[in-house]
Amino acid sequence: MPATITASAVRTCFGDGPATWAALLRGDCGVAPLERATAEQVGVGSGYPIADGGPFRPSRWLADCVREALAAAGVDPRRQRVVSLVGTGLRESAEVERAALAGVVDFPAERLHFGGAVAAAAPGVERVVTLANACSAGGHALALAQDLVETGDADAVLVGGTDGSTASMLAMIGRVASRPTERVRPFDADRAGVLLGDGAAVLVVERERGDGGLARLLATGLSCDAGHETAPDPEGILRAVRDAHERAGRRPDQIDLVLAHGTGTALNDATEAHVLAEVFAGCAPGPLVTAVKGAVGHTSGGSALLSVAVAVEALRTGQVPPIAGLARPAPEAAGLRLVRGEAVRADPRVAQVDAFGFGGLNAVTLLEAVR
Amino acid sequence: MTTLRHVATPHPAATAGLGPRAAAGEPVAAVLAAALHLPGVDALPADLPGARAATVEEPACPPERAADLLGRKGLLAKEPATRLALCAVHRALGLPAKAPRRTGPADPRTAVVVSSNLGNVATVGDIARRLRDGGPREVGPLEAPNASSNVIAGAVAIWFRFGGPNLTVCSGATAGLDAIWLAGLLLRIGRADRVVVVGTEPDDAQARALHAARRGRADRRPLRAGAACLLLGPVDGPGEPLGLLGPVRAVGADGASPAAPGSADDTVPGSVDGDVPGSVDGDVPGSVDGAVPGSVDGVPPAAPRLVDDAVLPGDHYGAAGVVHTAVALRLLAGTPAVRVRCGDPADGFRELTVTGAAR
Repeated sequence: MPATITASAVRTCFGDGPATWAALLRGDCGVAPLERATAEQVGVGSGYPIADGGPFRPSRWLADCVREALAAAGVDPRRQRVVSLVGTGLRESAEVERAALAGVVDFPAERLHFGGAVAAAAPGVERVVTLANACSAGGHALALAQDLVETGDADAVLVGGTDGSTASMLAMIGRVASRPTERVRPFDADRAGVLLGDGAAVLVVERERGDGGLARLLATGLSCDAGHETAPDPEGILRAVRDAHERAGRRPDQIDLVLAHGTGTALNDATEAHVLAEVFAGCAPGPLVTAVKGAVGHTSGGSALLSVAVAVEALRTGQVPPIAGLARPAPEAAGLRLVRGEAVRADPRVAQVDAFGFGGLNAVTLLEAVR
Repeated sequence: MTTLRHVATPHPAATAGLGPRAAAGEPVAAVLAAALHLPGVDALPADLPGARAATVEEPACPPERAADLLGRKGLLAKEPATRLALCAVHRALGLPAKAPRRTGPADPRTAVVVSSNLGNVATVGDIARRLRDGGPREVGPLEAPNASSNVIAGAVAIWFRFGGPNLTVCSGATAGLDAIWLAGLLLRIGRADRVVVVGTEPDDAQARALHAARRGRADRRPLRAGAACLLLGPVDGPGEPLGLLGPVRAVGADGASPAAPGSADDTVPGSVDGDVPGSVDGDVPGSVDGAVPGSVDGVPPAAPRLVDDAVLPGDHYGAAGVVHTAVALRLLAGTPAVRVRCGDPADGFRELTVTGAAR
């Protein structure tokens, strides 16, 4: 029996789900100066921050999303078999940095993962497993969530993704950028690199039920490039795409919309554009392609599920937001139907969501409208 | 340490033809090979009652000497936990020392599931200190993979060319058996034909400080560096496995009732003041001498022998569930089934049962 997404909740620099969706439709860009670090300190001065303070921020955003999604889905972990899989790139590594600088650990180390945060927000949850799967972590968690629901191992799965920026990762993106990046510009000829965004997303995955849910979860394909720790490999990505299509039983010409990974780096965007061109070769006119990182930054472990949540809204409403920051498409992406300038009405029925991460980790999800 | 690659102890619990939906208690994965790589713990089998006798032991090299086993190329930027993981996989695959690395296309049907909580915390802390002291020029882009918590699983995949699904589980004290749980799911759903499960932790100063600050720390066992690897395949796959793994159960501290994580308070139940690390004197909960905790409350009197934290000196934390399972496989020659447990009062507990295989 197919799985369905029955609720979603997100937190981004724009706020909650409705605020984020409205900002995406307007083509807004949430870039802002970082409050927790400066360019002098870490080499990067801008990002897409959530304006709140204190420690353990990814845990807080996640817990807020868990409560909101559970209520929206009407799922009670005390009455149903509910498990949770949380994808993250960095966990609460910002607290490791804080401890290293202070020379003392002033928090229980269990808080590096998200078991306690989810259990407190979802009393009765059977088990919570944190997956550190880089920038495709949420997509990996979603794949396993569908497996658990379809095998009957769980009645519902709370799938989460959450990340906040760390000094160490900010320094890394600063060191690999070709020049200082003012904003993320996916698939743009003048893109200069990626910036981190704060964010979390939680989806509730259940077996298909009478009311149809928000969108049908067709399949997620997984692969690992097993080639290079940071550079993407088109062959590895293609395996994940084809795995997703085969599992979903859908052909490329049946896909109407692609939520691209679209990090705005020279190599990643070129690789993804080439893969999309190959997959959808012969499909006329081919799917619309949009991406969210120009608006909300790269939310790392939260990014895959954030893109899924946006795809769900596109399938529900028929609206497709534009790629914020895209002015002049890069030559390698010129053949794609990139959505730019303003949102379009397209009534897509099947959407593909790409997510790729460090270590060559690829997760590609297919969703279908239930309207 | 040692690689186990074959066992022939018949047991009626073996089940063939398991479909995607696992019946309660039925095996979910077959162990095709297993290896422990625990530097400083070289006499493990002789210390364990019922352990297989014919095992040939070799000392496990520490991470700084991983090149003795793996060869030197590619190790330079690898952290200790990654090196230990690579060593454990190398042994589980039965490769000779410094064997040439595999080339050619990645194997898309072999998945990797790593369990580790503290593998990269030293690097993260070190980068933070260098940024504070010298600014961004003090760090280099080659450090980028180590700043991401999935570095170990990615490195294992690249080193051995495993192109299937790649997961890093960092769920605290339950991570090792959570990793086996997800590996079983990958096999049952057909996402992989073989899963390389690796548990690994380092014991650097940053890792030790975090480990000591755990709320669920039930005793004084220090963090201990080490790794273990299990090669898992489907229950109805070809060949003769070392053993079969039952479903991973979420259990309470007594091994019986389910418990949600994050419910422990600061008063840790069951802590044993003065407990000697590695003691197997029968007073320690979960020792391997047959005194099964909870045997009065919900566990049948003839419950299988238990392998848990008390088996080894020190605490392997995120690696523990995989280490304990690899140890349990050594006990199958003397008993038809072994229970494996990992966890703590804060993160909760997980158990599975290892049985001998019959085809």
